[in-house]
Amino acid sequence: MTPTGFLARLPRWLVLLGWTVVVLLPLYALVVSCFKTTQQIYADPLGLPQVLSFDNFINAWQRADLGRNLINSVIVTGGAVIVTIVVAAMAAYPLSRYGLKWGVWMLALFLAGIMLPIRLASVELFTLMRDLELLDSHLGLIAVYTAIRIPFAIFIFANFMRVLPRELEEAARLDGAGELRILFSIILPVVAPAVSIVAIFTTIAVWNDFFFPLIFIFDNNLKTVPLAITGFVGQFRTDWGMVFASLGISLAPVLAMYLLLARQIREGAAASGAVK
Amino acid sequence: MSDAANRTEPARLSRHLAALGFVLPALLIYGLFVLYPLLTSLWGSLFEWRGLRQLDFSGIDNYLRLFTFPNSEKLFGALWHNVAWFFGIMLFQNGFGLVLAYLLFWSKKGASFFQSVFFFPAVLSPVIVGALWRLLLAPNGVAEWMLNGLGLHEGRLTVLGDSNWALWVLIAIDAWNWMGLPVLIFTAGLRQISYEVFEAARIDGAGTTRMLTTVALPLLVPSISSVTTLSFINTFNQFDIVYVMQGVQGNPNFSTDTLVTYFYRLAFGAEGAVGITDIGLALALGTMLFLLLSVGTLLLLRAFDRATVQP
Repeated sequence: MTPTGFLARLPRWLVLLGWTVVVLLPLYALVVSCFKTTQQIYADPLGLPQVLSFDNFINAWQRADLGRNLINSVIVTGGAVIVTIVVAAMAAYPLSRYGLKWGVWMLALFLAGIMLPIRLASVELFTLMRDLELLDSHLGLIAVYTAIRIPFAIFIFANFMRVLPRELEEAARLDGAGELRILFSIILPVVAPAVSIVAIFTTIAVWNDFFFPLIFIFDNNLKTVPLAITGFVGQFRTDWGMVFASLGISLAPVLAMYLLLARQIREGAAASGAVK
Repeated sequence: MSDAANRTEPARLSRHLAALGFVLPALLIYGLFVLYPLLTSLWGSLFEWRGLRQLDFSGIDNYLRLFTFPNSEKLFGALWHNVAWFFGIMLFQNGFGLVLAYLLFWSKKGASFFQSVFFFPAVLSPVIVGALWRLLLAPNGVAEWMLNGLGLHEGRLTVLGDSNWALWVLIAIDAWNWMGLPVLIFTAGLRQISYEVFEAARIDGAGTTRMLTTVALPLLVPSISSVTTLSFINTFNQFDIVYVMQGVQGNPNFSTDTLVTYFYRLAFGAEGAVGITDIGLALALGTMLFLLLSVGTLLLLRAFDRATVQP
């Protein structure tokens, strides 16, 4: 590399590394603080912990009942992801491949939901959930999350299914396969990338949300992780070590998923943008 | 279409029925839990309410109350915070995000590593992001320790309790949270521009910075459109970070109050000293916000559609 080439490159790397530090430094502070007492955090917030103590994790785990909350989050997220994939794939299949006139309108009705601000309907949604006796229940959360995520899922599925060759299902129809069989054993495996995009982004959105648990869940035993953490942070705001540890515990599964799926998440977000 | 192909398709009427049957589960869930509450909310804003009970038709009465003191003060305060939030995000998150994306576009190595790092905060719950920054920015926290250490600040750091600063700090944290999204969308957009366009500009003597404004920007309009629209929708729905960091009142002294936190207080009862709900007012506010969001989004999309350079 020529000296001028090196100089022309230098500020570029400085800017990129600069923002990397801005992103990673707070997360680094979080990680090291998990292993310190509050006094140690005050004295030396960025230093490595002197001893590797797991007291904060043990305290946070027991006092916040995070095990229970994690199970709740897994149930709600898993349920919403599975139902969303099944019903959205079923709807997207005829809408994108049958060439029906009303299919276009139906698709538009679903896609409008991508930008509908559903939180503003939360009063009527609350009344509806109360009448259906779905308040304080995981099933209620699963239903609401599924409803909210259906538009994005149909959008992705329809885009992937539209471009498949017709021979795919015609051969199966000649063999006498039913439409459900065709969808789930022939079409869906071919659009596996779409399934993974829908699964990943539904998981992120549902796992992270705390607005709907905030208004629908009152029983401590049914709370999901983000809602429990919100309460916990307020309750123990002076015990920093323990609060950091609770954040660390709730961050761990997301970090693990991100390390495994960073490429798919990057590509999906760039293509769709609809992560929130 | 050949006869053979025709025979393999389900017969006409049964095809419509099959399609309907396939669409029905999604339509029922979506209709019941999204469309129905949304429509009844819009309609309900024209009624008088006591608690969660809908009473008499009252026309635009709720809207008149919303635009009268003291409600109007909260409304316009929150609206201004949302507008400031939008422009803050456009400038800092999306403007700087474009610069980062452009730098990554010219980097041969490491682009996906940086993208992954930049995007990571976006997969975190706003609860984690908000709680983390609240601790970092608290008195005795890391930010105070660093600023004091660098000699940029002295004594206790109280930005979150300072009504001049709190809103801008929250906007900066939101930008930290979502910076990866414009970076990803813009790098994807830049990679779709054919390399010859840049090559031609370079032969004409344009430098890297000139090429950003004269070559890249006009061709990036579709990416700018989606980034702007997403930021518009997200900022006017802003609730999470405010709730976690400053409480539902938008402390200090409502200086970080947003339209959705105001809506939440009206709807679920944390407004005023006694915390009584005012559903009529909440629904009127929700309807205004709904109109603002849908009209704003459509106008933005149309404006960008016109500005798109046809290749």
